[in-house]
Amino acid sequence: MNAVIAERFFGYSHAFAHPLTCGVVAFLGAALVITPLIFLVLRRTGNVADATYTELWVRWRSWIWISIALVVPILLGAAWVIMGVGVLSLLCYREFARATGIFREKMISVAVAVSLLLISFAVIDNYLRLFFATAVLGIALIAVVTIPQDRPEGFIQRVALGMMGYLFFGYSFGYLALMTTDPLYRPLLLLLLLGVELNDIFAYCSGRLCGGPKLVPRTSPGKTCAGAIGAVVLTTAMVLILGHFVLFPGTLMDRWPMLLILGAGMSIFGQFGDLLLSSIKRDIGVKDIGNLLPGHGGLLDRFDSLVIVTPLYYHFLSLVLGPLGHGQAERIITNMISP
Amino acid sequence: MTDWIFHTARDFELHGIERHRSLVRENGLAASVARLCWWCGLRVVLPLWLQLRVTGREHLPTKPPFVLIANHTSHLDALILASLLRAAWRDQVFPVAASDTFFEKRLSAAFADWFLNALAIRRCCARTHDLDEMRRKLTTGEAIFILFPEGSRSRTGELQAFHSGIGRLVAQTNVPVLSCHLDGCFRALPPGRWLCKPRRISVKIGPPLRFDDCPNNRSGWDTIAAQLRGEVKRLSNRA
Repeated sequence: MNAVIAERFFGYSHAFAHPLTCGVVAFLGAALVITPLIFLVLRRTGNVADATYTELWVRWRSWIWISIALVVPILLGAAWVIMGVGVLSLLCYREFARATGIFREKMISVAVAVSLLLISFAVIDNYLRLFFATAVLGIALIAVVTIPQDRPEGFIQRVALGMMGYLFFGYSFGYLALMTTDPLYRPLLLLLLLGVELNDIFAYCSGRLCGGPKLVPRTSPGKTCAGAIGAVVLTTAMVLILGHFVLFPGTLMDRWPMLLILGAGMSIFGQFGDLLLSSIKRDIGVKDIGNLLPGHGGLLDRFDSLVIVTPLYYHFLSLVLGPLGHGQAERIITNMISP
Repeated sequence: MTDWIFHTARDFELHGIERHRSLVRENGLAASVARLCWWCGLRVVLPLWLQLRVTGREHLPTKPPFVLIANHTSHLDALILASLLRAAWRDQVFPVAASDTFFEKRLSAAFADWFLNALAIRRCCARTHDLDEMRRKLTTGEAIFILFPEGSRSRTGELQAFHSGIGRLVAQTNVPVLSCHLDGCFRALPPGRWLCKPRRISVKIGPPLRFDDCPNNRSGWDTIAAQLRGEVKRLSNRA
């Protein structure tokens, strides 16, 4: 392993080399310190009921853990991000599997776990073609593992559920890990996570402020059109500003149509991801899909917005800037076997 | 095409220790792998440490459901009986364990759930719907129960009275019940000890009994309990 690769995987000493990384970490720290003060002020002025107040604290505590779990691996290096994404995918698939019942098919779970390992391997190896192939290889494995059991009844159902869970929560989240092949992965990942999480908060706040007609009341009764539009406007503005001044100055992305597409796309498809999970939950008839994050529900309730955005974000940036991670050592491990 | 067959986990709404304790608990791949490691490890360690002599192995049914009952003198009892069964049945074998011993603390509850697949039952006052759920597991599911009708470990090593709960599980069903007698566990690991001494242990497995013609009421349950106790007693006297 040469010095460049080692630096990308484990080089935490340059964690704060990019201004966006410093900015996002400082912003997160400040937000987590200031929000309790706001809670206290709201409490003093008597604007919140007791139940809401307790709920706010529970949520705040969960946010601290979420922030640490997201930011610390990104700062420490690519190896930790890849490992973290693997664990995230496994836990998210587990929540999906328990909610839909596909967890009873243990061979499907084995196939998904093996495919997740393959994704991690492709990212560590920086073998792009293998990474993209894991979509097909994964669903092929899921399709064939239960055939030797000779139980054709329910075959379509178990394979369909397995593929759905794998593609959404394994392959799609795998792109988060794939972004670490680029030397600038820290700011790129942080912009994505910040944009998508703030998008949720923007939608909630503008929805609460404006009210108005519901967006898709039968899927998600809480969401309003005003919230959706507000989120698109605010997220796009944030991405425009951060992109133009901090992340992409002087590159091909630094043109307003590109930044506009990126910002609006993040917001719109972030909300679609949210509604995707709402649809799944509505269909099953459950409110939350887990309880790992008190106040939020399951991991998926928090990370649902990333399901569609992450691959789009990666491919759009690759389209405009050229493939992410270009120029880095490719096929680090497989090269030793067959150069 | 087949109608939709997948359903949300029955314990989906339960979390933490409540889930470990639940009789409707359902586990996935991770727990299954944990159990595989545990039982394979035990199958290697137990014969190395204890001199096991098993008779009547041919009485074991070839497929679930069935119930193993035995005299209870030690924590070893359930481990030894479970290690006689096939590893492929690990997710169907449920040692029935006292809720107040194994499911009070979070860590031991998680261990009992993940590794032993133990079912929590309240020994003083098992609720009717708990017993109904266990009966359902036996009759519709593919369950194997390891059960100690004495209700707790004997402090003297002698056989105690049997509770009638076993009767409520198997009366008027076609589920075979196998009586077993374990000798030597009390000397190896009596109640109150934590270190298992290497001792000779003999396990005798009796022939399967069925109670499909036994009435599912108080007198029927008592009859079953008495009959099974007699069977264990008979095994203990046999050389």
